[in-house]
Amino acid sequence: MTAPTTPGAAEAGTPGAVPPAPTRPEAVGFDGLPTATPPPAPDPAADLPSVIEVRDLGIRYSLRLTRKNTLRNTFINMFRKREGPKEFWALRHVDFDLVQGQSLAVIGPNGAGKSTLLQVLAGILTPSEGGVIVRGQVSSLLTLGAGFDQDLTGRENILLAGAFLGMDHREVLDRLEPIIEFADLGEFIDAPIKTYSSGMRARLGFSIATSVDPDVLLLDEVLATGDAIFRAKSKARILELVRSAKAIVLVTHDMGWVTEFCNRAMLIEKGAVIANGEPADVVAIHLEHAEEAKRAKLEQIRRYGGEAPKLAR
Amino acid sequence: MASLPKASQKATPPAYRSTSERPSTVGLVAEGFREIASRRRLIRYLVQADMKKKGANTVLGNVWWVIDPLMLMIVYVVLVTVITQRPQPDYPLFIFSAILPWKWFTSTVSDAVTSVTGQERLIKQLHFPKLVLPVASTFSGVTSFVFGLIPLGLLLVLFYSDRITPYLLLIPVVAFVQLVLSMGLAIGVSAVNVFYRDLGNAIRHFLRLWFYLSPALYSAEQISSLGVDDPTITFLFGLNPFTILFESYRNVIYAGTPPMWGPLLALLAVSVAITCLATWGFKRLEPAFAKVL
Ligand SMILES: Nc1ncnc2c1ncn2[C@@H]1O[C@H](COP(=O)(O)OP(=O)(O)OP(=O)(O)O)[C@@H](O)[C@H]1O
Ligand SMILES: [Mg+2]
Repeated sequence: MTAPTTPGAAEAGTPGAVPPAPTRPEAVGFDGLPTATPPPAPDPAADLPSVIEVRDLGIRYSLRLTRKNTLRNTFINMFRKREGPKEFWALRHVDFDLVQGQSLAVIGPNGAGKSTLLQVLAGILTPSEGGVIVRGQVSSLLTLGAGFDQDLTGRENILLAGAFLGMDHREVLDRLEPIIEFADLGEFIDAPIKTYSSGMRARLGFSIATSVDPDVLLLDEVLATGDAIFRAKSKARILELVRSAKAIVLVTHDMGWVTEFCNRAMLIEKGAVIANGEPADVVAIHLEHAEEAKRAKLEQIRRYGGEAPKLAR
Repeated sequence: MASLPKASQKATPPAYRSTSERPSTVGLVAEGFREIASRRRLIRYLVQADMKKKGANTVLGNVWWVIDPLMLMIVYVVLVTVITQRPQPDYPLFIFSAILPWKWFTSTVSDAVTSVTGQERLIKQLHFPKLVLPVASTFSGVTSFVFGLIPLGLLLVLFYSDRITPYLLLIPVVAFVQLVLSMGLAIGVSAVNVFYRDLGNAIRHFLRLWFYLSPALYSAEQISSLGVDDPTITFLFGLNPFTILFESYRNVIYAGTPPMWGPLLALLAVSVAITCLATWGFKRLEPAFAKVL
C-alpha cells in the first residue's frame, strides 16, 4: 500500500532551504499506532514562499437569510418589526501566514470558527472582509463522502466525485484502481452506496479524498473513521500526505494529533485568533482556557445548589 | 498509493480572494458559460445519475415515460370532448402535440427548483461551479421529451398516418428554442429557491395557470376570435412564449405546415437573453449559497 519514503525525499524539491528530516523513531503513540514526529519547522531565516496568506479576514453570516426563509415569511415580515441580531461574525480580523513546509493545527472550542476558516481556505466561502491567497492546488477533506449519490455504485461515485473535484477523466481512470484497492470494500464496490454501512461509506470517502496529491491539504476532524485496521491505514496515508504536501491545515480536538502532526498551532476562540505559535505553548493556553471554563461551570452549578442549571426550552 | 501520478497542475493562479474585486456583468456571464463548458463531463454524469434514479425507483422503469403522456392525453380528450362537445378534428393528436412539450417543461422547471438546495451538503464541503446543477437538470428533462416521442410516433403511424409529413423533422428545431428557454428559467429558479424555500409551491400553481392560459387544449385561433373587439387580448396572448411554442409544435406535428419562423426566432433571442440574465444573477448569488444553505 505504502511505498517507503526515504527521509528528506519530500523536501528534495525545496532548494537547499530545509534540513533533511530526521529518521522517524519507531515509537507507539497514544492510540497504539506508530507515531511520527512532526516535520521539522522550516528555518525562519530562510526566505520561503508563503503558501497561504490571510489578511484581516472576516466572515459574516446574515442571520436573516440563514433562517429557513420562505416567500410567505418575507411577506409577513414586511408588516412586522423584526427583532434580534441581524448578523454574526464567525471570524474577524484573522491574520496569518503559512510558508512552505509548515503544518498548522487549528484548535479551539466548539463554534469558534475553525471549520469556517477551512471553508474560506478551500474557496467555499468568500471573505466578507479582508482576503486570502492560497497558492497551489487545494484538497479539502472537510467531511467525507458529502457528494455521494445513494443510487450509484461505489465505482460510479468515484467517477462522479472525480468530476466534481475537477479532475481530468484520464486522471480519474488512472486513480480508480488505487482508490478501490485502498477502500478495500470487496464486491460492494459495485453495489449502490445506499447498501453501505456508515463505516464503509467513510472508507470510500477517505480513499477518494486522499487520492489527490495536493499542495495544500485541509483536514477537518476526519481522522477517526473506520475500524482499527482502516484507521491504521488511513493514518499512514495522512502521514504520507503530510510529508508530500507543501502546507497543511488541520482542525482537531485531539491534542495528541496536534503535537504529532504539526509544527505550528493556532488557537481560535469566538472568531478571533488568541494564540499562534509553537504547538506545545498553544496547546497549553488552550487547556488552561478549557480548565477555566470548566471551573466557571462548576462554580455556576454550586450556586444553583448542587443542581445542574436547567436547559432552556 | 505513493506512486500515484501527481495531480494535474492546472496552473492555478494565486488568486487573492476578497470582496473588494468583482468581475463586470459581462465577465460574470462569460465566466458562467465557461464553467458550464469546462464541466461537460460532470453534467453528463449528473444526468446519467438522475435517469438511473428515475428509472430504478419504479416497477416499470422507463416504460412510465411512454405511458404517462398517453394517459394524460386520454384524460384531456375525455374531459374536453364532454365539456365542449365539438373538439378539433383528430383531437388526440392535437392535444398530444402540446402535452408532450409541456410535460417536459414542467418537469424541467420543478426539478431545477431543488437542484441547488438538494446538494446542500456538497456545496458546504467543496468548491465547484454550482451552475452545473440546474444545467444538468435541464438536460435530464430532455430525456422525458425524447421518450415521449415514442408514443407520438406510435400515434402517428397507427392512427394518423395521413398526417405524417416531412415537417415532422423540424420538431428538434422547435425543441431547441424550448430548451434554451427552460435553461434560463431553470438557472433562475434554482438560485432563488436557495433564499426562498417555498418557491417550488408558488411555481407549481403558476405553471398550472400558465398551462390553461396557453393554447394547449384549444387553438390560438379560438382565442383570437374571442378578441376580435379587444385586440389587447390577442396581443397579450401572442406574448406568451408557449403560444409560439405550442402553435409551432402543432404546425409541424398536426397541421403539416412550417413552424412560425418569425415569432420562433424572436422567442429564441428572448430566451438567450433570459439565460444570460439568469446566469448573471446566479453568479452574483453563488457566493452566498454556502452561507445560506
Ligand atoms: N450557515 C451559518 N449561518 C449562521 N451561522 C453559522 C453558519 N455556519 C456556522 N455558523 C456559526 O459560525 C460559528 C463558527 O462555526 P464553525 O462551524 O466554524 O465552528 P467550529 O469551530 O468548526 O466548531 P466545532 O468545533 O464544533 O466544529 C458558530 O457559532 C456557528 O453557529
Ligand atoms: Mg467544525
